[in-house]
Amino acid sequence: MSDPAVAVRGLTKIFPVPLHRQSIVAVRDLDLRIESGEVYGLLGPNGSGKSTTLKIILGLVSPTHGCTEIFGRDSRLVESREAVGFLPENPYFYKYLTGEETLRFFGRLCGLRGAPLKNRINELLDLVGLTKARKRRLGTYSKGMLQRIGLAQALIHDPRLVVLDEPTAGVDPAGSREIRDLILDLRRRGITVLLSSHLLAQAQEICDHVGILADGVLVREGRLQELIAIENQTEFVIADASTQLINEIESFINRSDAKLIERRKSTTTLERLFLDATKNDEARMTKPE
Amino acid sequence: MSERHYRAFSFRRINAMTVNTLTELTRLKVFYVLLIFALLLIGSSMFMAQFTFQQEFQILKDVSLGAMSIFTSLLAIVATARLIPQDIEDRTVYTILAKPVPRFEYLLGKIAGVLLLLAISTLVMGAAFLLVLYAREQTVLHATLRHMSGAPREQIDDALRVIRSSALNADIFPGIIIIYLKACLLAALTLFVSTFATTNIFTIVVMAFVYFIGHLQATAREYWLQEHGASWITRVFLAVVALLFPDLQAFNLVDDIVVGTAISLALFFKTAVLGIFYTSIYTLLAAFVFYGKEL
Repeated sequence: MSDPAVAVRGLTKIFPVPLHRQSIVAVRDLDLRIESGEVYGLLGPNGSGKSTTLKIILGLVSPTHGCTEIFGRDSRLVESREAVGFLPENPYFYKYLTGEETLRFFGRLCGLRGAPLKNRINELLDLVGLTKARKRRLGTYSKGMLQRIGLAQALIHDPRLVVLDEPTAGVDPAGSREIRDLILDLRRRGITVLLSSHLLAQAQEICDHVGILADGVLVREGRLQELIAIENQTEFVIADASTQLINEIESFINRSDAKLIERRKSTTTLERLFLDATKNDEARMTKPE
Repeated sequence: MSERHYRAFSFRRINAMTVNTLTELTRLKVFYVLLIFALLLIGSSMFMAQFTFQQEFQILKDVSLGAMSIFTSLLAIVATARLIPQDIEDRTVYTILAKPVPRFEYLLGKIAGVLLLLAISTLVMGAAFLLVLYAREQTVLHATLRHMSGAPREQIDDALRVIRSSALNADIFPGIIIIYLKACLLAALTLFVSTFATTNIFTIVVMAFVYFIGHLQATAREYWLQEHGASWITRVFLAVVALLFPDLQAFNLVDDIVVGTAISLALFFKTAVLGIFYTSIYTLLAAFVFYGKEL
């Protein structure tokens, strides 16, 4: 059996509070196993221990107890990070560098150079849609653009695991959707994605597996579809049904042992409505007189 | 993933960090403000009160080398103080250290970038100083030639030799190198302080104290030993102070250069080795503290 992308065993992290005889338990006895090629969502409210767990996995913080591994390598070892790309929450990067210079800098840190680095930069700028802004300094980038250049730097060395801490925090719905599409594209290419979020609707759209943290403890864990399924209920979504057909279905259900819980019109999402509306507005703005 | 062999130590990664740090610092306005102030001060020393040409050259050297010493020290502290706290605040440090980059290389790249910036600044200021000194020397030489047009050849040659030896002399170069090494020492010490400081203001305040104590400690030590004798407690205390605060007065060779005292090779090497030693020790201490730092 191959090594999982991430293995966390008995992880506990306690932060001492200076000048106080107390400490904060950020993560308590956590066990996780993230298989290769899946999108894993680490969910939880603010202060639940998500970011601390990610930092320990990345070797930025040392655990009080327990161990973490990336593709079978102890994550405290620097070489384990060859396989990892990381995008921190609300990244700033170096404002004085352009988008292209930023990717070149991170590429060089990963041992890339010459034509392969140049090609990789072009490929990633194209992937995240920043080719036109490549010569602009990051100081002039919007939050969504910063998030996308952040994702590009995380992918610069073609990692097998991408760790994203709140990847859509503070990004508008259009930017958020672009990032979501990029994550789905990573999954299609077989890259494992570990993301932390408290935006549950988004996590539901993209995650295969989720773990829910509360006060540093893993309170739920498993395949998303299994966790959210209601075993004794079934949904039908029917298009172009006449009122007569719907009434017949309803009376058929009422004659059986089953119980109709709710009958309603299908709705779109608020996000879809927003995106359609703003897209139409943009089209109107650019329409010639 | 493409096949790349990981190396525990890589000059390429350090070079990437160094170039990035240098780019960061040269794109800061404070760098140009400090450099322009220093160059203006060096340039203005040309117009200062003068009685004889010896006094004029002394003032020029005193002001210029003093300005170089103060501005490189200031630049070393201000530039280094912001590097690590800023990276932590902006979370850039997470992005860098989440790549296969050891913490030691990160720090080494940072300090190398600062040392490179200090070298460039010292070269620019040194070149401006030498240019001003050369221009004044030429003016004085021409004026002397005009005044002594009727004098015998030997007398003129003697006068010109005296002028030349008062202006440009070989001792200026080791003096400039020592000024640079003092700035390197201060940069390394600032880096060490910034590894446990949370803001750059704290680092700058601590370094301001270190700067003054470092310049006063040798005098205070001599006075203390003369007045209070040399009990073992005193000696231990003074040794601890000397260890914590480098003797910056030992790097002050400007006074000797100004009055024309030749700097012996032994004194130059001793001071240079002291500077390199302190710079290395403080960098290692910074790496040690940063290695265990929770980010």
